[in-house]
Amino acid sequence: MDHHSIYISLLANTVKAGTILLFPTIGEIFAERAGILNLGVEGMMLIGAFIGFIVAYTTKDPYLGFFAGTIAGGIASLIHAFISITLRGSQIVSGLALTIFGGGFTTFYGQKWINMTLNNTLPTVKLPILSKIPYIGPIFFSQDLIVYLSYITVLVMWFILYKTTMGLNLRAVGENAKAANAMGISVYRVRYMWTFFGGLLAGAGGAYLTTSYAPFWLDGITAGRGWIAIALVIFAMWDPLKALFGAYLFGGINALQFQLQASGTTIPSAILNMLPYIGTFIVITISSIIVKTRHVRPPKELGIPYIREEK
Amino acid sequence: MLYFEKRQSVPQYFKVIIPIISLLIGLIIGAIAVAIVGINPLDVYGGILSNAFGSWYAFSETLVAATPLILITAGLIVVFRMNVWNIGAYGQYIMGAIFSSYFALFASHGLSKPAMLVVMVISSMIGGAIWALIPTFLKIFWEVNEVITTLLLNYIALYILKFLMYGPWKNPESYGFPLSKTFPQTAILPVLFKGTRLTVGIIFALITVLIVWFLIKKSKFGYEVRVIGDNPLAAKYAGISVNRNIIIGMAISGALAGLAGMTEVSGIVHYLQVKIGADYGYTAIIVAWISYLDPLVTILASILFGGLASGGYSLQITMRVSYGIVGLIESITLFSLVGAQIFLNYKLRWKNGSS
Amino acid sequence: MEEIVLETRNITKIFPETIANKNISFKLKKGEIHALLGENGAGKTTLMNILYGIYMPTNGEIFINGQKVTIKSPLDAIRLGIGMIHQHFMLVETLTVLENIILGLKEYGFVINKRAVKEKLKEIERLYSLKVEPNVKVWQTTVGEQQKIEIIKVLFRGANILILDEPTAVLTPQETQGLFKILKKMKDDGKSIIFITHKLEEVMQIADTITVLRKGEVIKTLPKDKTTKSELAQLMVGETQTCDFLRKRKETDETILSIKGLTVYSDKGTKSLKGVDLDVKRGEILGIAGISGNGQKELVQTIAGLKKVAEGKIIFNGVDITNKHPRFISRLGINYIPADRLAMGVAPNLSSIDNAIMRRYYRFPLSKRGIMNYTKALAYTRMMAKAYKIKLDNPFAPIKLLSGGNMQKLILAREILENPKLLIASYPTRGLDIASTQFFRQKLIEIANKGKTIILVSEDLDEILSLSDRIAVMYEGRIVGIMDAEKADKNTIGLMMAGAKA
Repeated sequence: MDHHSIYISLLANTVKAGTILLFPTIGEIFAERAGILNLGVEGMMLIGAFIGFIVAYTTKDPYLGFFAGTIAGGIASLIHAFISITLRGSQIVSGLALTIFGGGFTTFYGQKWINMTLNNTLPTVKLPILSKIPYIGPIFFSQDLIVYLSYITVLVMWFILYKTTMGLNLRAVGENAKAANAMGISVYRVRYMWTFFGGLLAGAGGAYLTTSYAPFWLDGITAGRGWIAIALVIFAMWDPLKALFGAYLFGGINALQFQLQASGTTIPSAILNMLPYIGTFIVITISSIIVKTRHVRPPKELGIPYIREEK
Repeated sequence: MLYFEKRQSVPQYFKVIIPIISLLIGLIIGAIAVAIVGINPLDVYGGILSNAFGSWYAFSETLVAATPLILITAGLIVVFRMNVWNIGAYGQYIMGAIFSSYFALFASHGLSKPAMLVVMVISSMIGGAIWALIPTFLKIFWEVNEVITTLLLNYIALYILKFLMYGPWKNPESYGFPLSKTFPQTAILPVLFKGTRLTVGIIFALITVLIVWFLIKKSKFGYEVRVIGDNPLAAKYAGISVNRNIIIGMAISGALAGLAGMTEVSGIVHYLQVKIGADYGYTAIIVAWISYLDPLVTILASILFGGLASGGYSLQITMRVSYGIVGLIESITLFSLVGAQIFLNYKLRWKNGSS
Repeated sequence: MEEIVLETRNITKIFPETIANKNISFKLKKGEIHALLGENGAGKTTLMNILYGIYMPTNGEIFINGQKVTIKSPLDAIRLGIGMIHQHFMLVETLTVLENIILGLKEYGFVINKRAVKEKLKEIERLYSLKVEPNVKVWQTTVGEQQKIEIIKVLFRGANILILDEPTAVLTPQETQGLFKILKKMKDDGKSIIFITHKLEEVMQIADTITVLRKGEVIKTLPKDKTTKSELAQLMVGETQTCDFLRKRKETDETILSIKGLTVYSDKGTKSLKGVDLDVKRGEILGIAGISGNGQKELVQTIAGLKKVAEGKIIFNGVDITNKHPRFISRLGINYIPADRLAMGVAPNLSSIDNAIMRRYYRFPLSKRGIMNYTKALAYTRMMAKAYKIKLDNPFAPIKLLSGGNMQKLILAREILENPKLLIASYPTRGLDIASTQFFRQKLIEIANKGKTIILVSEDLDEILSLSDRIAVMYEGRIVGIMDAEKADKNTIGLMMAGAKA
């Protein structure tokens, strides 16, 4: 391969690796916008990755696998929703429990799947015309359908958040739940809905990982990506469009790391593997400083259980 | 319809019943999970029980697992009481192990055993404390969320350890396995009972709990921690330095996790390797909550969860039941516990009809 | 025969610890302004929350236009044509005015049809001369504008019955008159209004019918034309209270606290104090008047060391206390009763003991070499409870279980027992019943009569006028005027509160 095509493939892989992070980041942005902090992203991604993998493996249909993994993530999020919304439990502890749950669940049931490989991964579908654009085409429009779905998701969700009544209700619930309730909005319903949505997207991110980017099963295959997604929410300042940049930045680190490893670099692999975490650490520190100085702030109700008045 | 009604007073026994019921729910759901794959849950639990408490040796192994748990939990209690979320005990534990191993591997010349062990204890505590203080200062100066930073530092610590084990600290005679040379005799914690792996580490742990108990219940620091935990604004108003107490608390928490790492490498493993002990750093979070952040109760809870971990490990070898079952039981227990907190403040009531 | 649009029959609401409403029956006629008059804790707000579906009554029935209804949620209330303007505005600060107005409405489509909203806004502007700027964020608007937004919200939902809960608490006297004009116009338009208040003057000015509540019960319903202020006061309070405290002015010309050019920033990055200059004289009671949100809170918190000074200087008794630690300041003799008890004054889940010793836990004999003596702490708390008549059944129980009055007494006692040279009391009687209020005012006078200096912040102009020696008025982060209380009158202060220069 010449240099030119190496860069193109690196960037195309950046988009792929970024997609794994993009789905959960968008999902968490919406859950947090509703006031629900879900630290269980890592667990939901693992469950999505696992279910996605075994369904794709047994049915030989990667799309079905992706779909199943997405639903599985959504179902897992309902545990967190029930505990933090209905039972008003600590969102931090419940989210951590969900992460531990995802790890335990997939380790336990995944034992016999370890090191199995998926042969039918998501196929590349080159978009007519668009894929012919120099540079942009091979990077963004010679991907699989799920990547295109992620582009649509970002745009649609941005539109929903800022231009529709649904988004208005969501923002109101996350900023002032009491006021939203007084205006006849069901705080519980909005919170359940968006927490579930966050779970679906976390599941989607995990399922995309095992049906496309890393089509095999390993214990703990998500390797902390859920936490990176949570950090990216702050980087994105709760805005779906900005999430796109954050996700691709880290997708790039991931892709680079693999490219270097494949090219037989002398840099120790432990150091390479550390890069995304160091990167996240730096990014979350810098974004927190920006958030603080620019007076952008997280949704006001984030992490606070809503208690409708005693009836 | 069902609804929650606020309680005026909480029966004291609730704080005993809720953790027990939570653990039971964890075990029941764990049993269902096991039954789904066609294994008899009774065999599994019987196996865990006998591997954890069935014999003196089994019990000593449970205490071996409980030692780091007690140490880590004792530290977590201090910061959790201030609503500071140190999720990084795992990384602090690794850093403690790395720091103390440095002296065991490269600076053991001419030191007597007691001197060596003191050096290792102190260095491990410093290592753990440094790892805990990095996110603490970021939190204090720029409000960087400590849940995420402490967690990321777990991964970073793990990769530092991997780097050392595959690179500079690797034992050239380990046939490619990622581990260091064996520690010299002077760097090994004495065993308490012959024929077991139980070391004086458990005594460190018990003394630590007593100190933390005293700190929380009797000291001025403990009073300040209580006020900060309940209302940081009131604490500031009362002239309490919130940041100073958070720094002290995190330093304690990190140091104790580091010490746990030292007791593990120096007492149990005797060399440094990529996998040291079970996921004590995460299990300790559950132990802390199920004990209601009460230091004395953590001893009991640590033995229970230490038993689950130790029994679960043996099971993986003897029955080929995945260790994942432990995580499943732990997480369901934690879910139930968090969910059940509502009963401390509310009663579940039934009201007929629409009004 | 007049049309009854809303009627309650024997509404009773029992909370676990109190009976908030007891057999309340009243009728609201079409096109009338019906005042619900009662002091704090009389059960007015509970009743309204029942009508708006926030609480469910334990017993009793509600009729709208003669039909029996159950109101389970605000949504039900809105559908029945009931609109409520809460005492604390129900606005989402980060959303725009327009977004707040249509919040929860479905008529404007999935994708919000802003043009239709703006058209309807114009119509309302034409009918009631209520004008707002739809595209600004609510946090950028003034309190007066926010109330207009609330009224528009209610009108947007086509409400025929409006409930206003203490709507004038946050308004200047002039803004209040503006509100009354709007209410009268709505009344002429055939809407019915429930006006909740404890202010007699306003009742006499605006109401057609008055229902007086006391301790959760209806005392009497009577038409305005057939009653007087003094009769209403009597009905409201029961037996008349006597004010037996007497202020002996003791102020000197010596300045105890001197503030120069004080500038402080808010969390949003805007200036909440814009160069405040203020001299407080030893021995005086200085009242600080102003509509809440004009910098009073920031001023006193900055004096107490709880906010960072960006520019300026604070000198107390010759010592520079600018940006000093709160404990350093309190040890110099400045003590502070914060505005919001539960938010800052106490740690609600800790015991009364832990809360009582907050100011001295670090000193001998409560603590020695870092070790606490809780036996002494208990004794200190008991002494405090006895001296200040705090009802303390179990000092080990969480302080949040105490009544508001008892909790406030404990805070007051805690601060006074430090023997301050300067006591800052921020909204000390807010939310207290009449007896506790009297107790508090008396205590403040007592301390001042002993020669202590007091800064009193209050939104209750009557309180400020009756207690203070001098009155400073704050507006938008500045002190816009300072005058002797004897020469002050409500009207001038009101104008200054609205920004007019003295």
